[in-house]
Amino acid sequence: MDGFRVVRRQTPHRWVGLIVLPAALLIALAFCSLLLMIQDKSPVEAAVVLFQGGFGSLYALQDTMLKAIPIFLCSLGVSIAFRMKVWNIGAEGQFALGGVGATWAVLTFPGLPMPLMLALMLACAAVTGGLWGMLPGLLKLKFGLNEIISTLMLNYIGIEFMRYLVYGPWKDPGSMGFPMTAMFPEEAVFPEVIGYVHAGLIVCVIAAVAVSVFLQRTRLGFELCAAGENPRAARYARIPYGFLLVFVLTVSGALAGMAGCVEVSATFNRLQPSLCTGYGYTAIVVAWLSRLRTPSIALFSIFLAGLLVGTDNLQVDLQVPAAFGGILEGFILLCVLAGQFFYSYTFVRTGRKQGGAA
Amino acid sequence: MIETQTSAAGEGVRTAPPLIRLENICKSYGPVRANRNISLEIRSGEILALLGENGAGKSTLMSILSGKSRQDSGTIYVDGAPAPFRSPRDALAAGIGMVYQHFMLVEAMTVTQNLMLGQAHGILNPAAMRRRVLELAARYGFEINPDAMISDLSMGERQRVEILKLLYRDCRVLILDEPTAVLTPPEIRQLFSALRRMAADGKAVVFISHKMKEVLDLATEISILRRGEIVDHFLRGDVPGERELAERMVGRQMDAAVEQTPVDKGEVLLELSHASCGMAQDLSCTLRRGEVLAVVGVAGNGQRELVEMVTGSVRPDSGMDSVRILGRNWNDFMRARMSRKSMVYIPEDRKGLATCPSLDLLDNFLLTNRNGFQNFGFLDRRHSATAAADIMEEYQVVADGLHATAGSLSGGNLQKMVLGREFFREPSLIVAENPTQGLDIGAMEEVWRRILEARDHAGVLLVTSDLREAMTLADTFAVMYRGRFIDVFPRTDAERVEAIGLMMAGIRFGEEEKEAVHEA
Repeated sequence: MDGFRVVRRQTPHRWVGLIVLPAALLIALAFCSLLLMIQDKSPVEAAVVLFQGGFGSLYALQDTMLKAIPIFLCSLGVSIAFRMKVWNIGAEGQFALGGVGATWAVLTFPGLPMPLMLALMLACAAVTGGLWGMLPGLLKLKFGLNEIISTLMLNYIGIEFMRYLVYGPWKDPGSMGFPMTAMFPEEAVFPEVIGYVHAGLIVCVIAAVAVSVFLQRTRLGFELCAAGENPRAARYARIPYGFLLVFVLTVSGALAGMAGCVEVSATFNRLQPSLCTGYGYTAIVVAWLSRLRTPSIALFSIFLAGLLVGTDNLQVDLQVPAAFGGILEGFILLCVLAGQFFYSYTFVRTGRKQGGAA
Repeated sequence: MIETQTSAAGEGVRTAPPLIRLENICKSYGPVRANRNISLEIRSGEILALLGENGAGKSTLMSILSGKSRQDSGTIYVDGAPAPFRSPRDALAAGIGMVYQHFMLVEAMTVTQNLMLGQAHGILNPAAMRRRVLELAARYGFEINPDAMISDLSMGERQRVEILKLLYRDCRVLILDEPTAVLTPPEIRQLFSALRRMAADGKAVVFISHKMKEVLDLATEISILRRGEIVDHFLRGDVPGERELAERMVGRQMDAAVEQTPVDKGEVLLELSHASCGMAQDLSCTLRRGEVLAVVGVAGNGQRELVEMVTGSVRPDSGMDSVRILGRNWNDFMRARMSRKSMVYIPEDRKGLATCPSLDLLDNFLLTNRNGFQNFGFLDRRHSATAAADIMEEYQVVADGLHATAGSLSGGNLQKMVLGREFFREPSLIVAENPTQGLDIGAMEEVWRRILEARDHAGVLLVTSDLREAMTLADTFAVMYRGRFIDVFPRTDAERVEAIGLMMAGIRFGEEEKEAVHEA
């Protein structure tokens, strides 16, 4: 009897990744095309609009970069926690708290010169985001509370806290009732560096280099990776697992917080509820897709940001519902994750041999 | 017993077709050829021993025979007809059953209930089944209570349940994978007599082992597997001696066995006085520099708790002063624990505990030696690479360089790497837990030699369930049974050393008479 059998690969194939990834993306797009066809929209036209909108022009690319910056910072953060197999789903809340921290700095110390102001905003955002990340770490350490649940739930609390501030104490009296703080002074806005891409890009580069050096060269980074690979061996080697647990969640939160700072400063120039649009969740998708490698995180951040921008265009041009972007993102994640099966397994034809011998 | 039948069958052409015949079975896992052209006949009434080192291909062959995996080429004949096994169900239907090293029983069910599992006849008749269990147990001399919960049974009793499961399904071929590893000597005797009765009843027994003595004691036929091939096949009567069997198994002249000569004893390194920890109760002993203290016993009698307490992962229940390590009480020692010239722990679980299998050898070296290679929080990978490479050379670790993953190494090479890594910090106290489990003879002797050499600067707490290992290395024995030391004595006490087997079964020295009565 002919059949196929799943066999584990001895060594990962080099070209498999090159084929699997585009194939998975194509399959995801095919699924989405089906969805479009059900709605009587032309998938070809949609694909053109999507890619034109995300990557088709200099204007589009700059838009994409602007969205990629907060996604990248959040994703870099969660990837550190994921590396230790600590599942931080709370980037969204830590991002919101970062926005709060940065806004607090602006409201409390107005009139500082720009470099000082921006540095202070980043620091405050890192502290508030970091504390928001540290909390589930401590809860897990002291009470064994599952970090997936606690980080997820803290998202809602964090976002509601941010909304409370902009609806209440921090609301700009001159906003005509809109829930938002006053416009930030010019010193508190990240300047544009390339085209209208702002200096948040520099923050990304510095963070990426720092994280890479930390993971590859330092003792703590090594301990973190070892603890992720084999927690039992980590305890055996007297690696301070509890400390690392709290540490990675704090760093993770701090990076998401910095993303929140960049976003309130450069994109909105104020704190307002529309700050939270799900970058923290997209960041988790990016971390998984990139298999926690920093350069891949950058690429996938840009790719998914491009899709987000492209979907906005789709909404305008073809009247596709806004949820379509989330559906596309979900399909891509599922297809790529399913495709990763081929990195470590392969199919082998069976049968014939035995039948022939008989 | 059944020798007459065997020798008759051994001469000339066999008329009755074998129950099972394997012809040119080949199986590869990637580049590793686990089985090459294996041809074997399994006959009713015979006890066939498959003798081979770990990694020789025994388990692969048996998993093919029991339908768990499929051969790449070759044919299995059942009663002379080719039978492709697609699943364990096919093998079971052909009357082939296997008792694995790790039992597959539901702990929260009774013996009878476990036997009922997988009997897909729709309607079950527990009363009839219970009667049948008792009948089978009586027939083969198994003492078993059909209503006992599995979780209350000893390892030996669980094994009997596994065997009963196969007998209940009328298996004609019973395959037992290393069945004696978890048994006490009296339990081994019981098992062997039951297996002989099964063979006398016309069943075929296949017995996988690497213990020569047992094989010589029990088997009527012996096949030796080496590197995936059957290199020798002996019938009862022309079986050579233990030494020659061993040589054929390893494929070379064995080195002179490791000799233990006592060295001068130094200061006390480890002192237990009425220490307790979980199942381990009221343990007292001392270990000096230059001494190997072997804690022997069947696995699961409190050794794990003892090791966890001494190595610091679990606090002693009996107070901090009941455990003194390197001159300090437990708490003080653990708190101020240094990494050099202190205590190291060689765990039994090499890939689960001692190493990170997916990290490379350098990172695994750094895992426990990272304190010695850091500057201001940064790791010095260059100097550590030199040190790790030196260890690989000194300990003759065969691997694809420093950047091979730990998981890609064979058990013996990985264990040598772990030893080298831990001895690098010049420990004073070494806690080694079944350090040669699963190693071939070459690697085993190498590990033993290293442990004996380490006595120059250290004391060794050796926790082992391999009596031969304890006999080879120990200066002092502590026999553990149900959480307690039944006896602690030096190797010079020949009478007690002789009685270790009984002590492992819970019988104190001088109480053998009781056991004799019990057996009769």
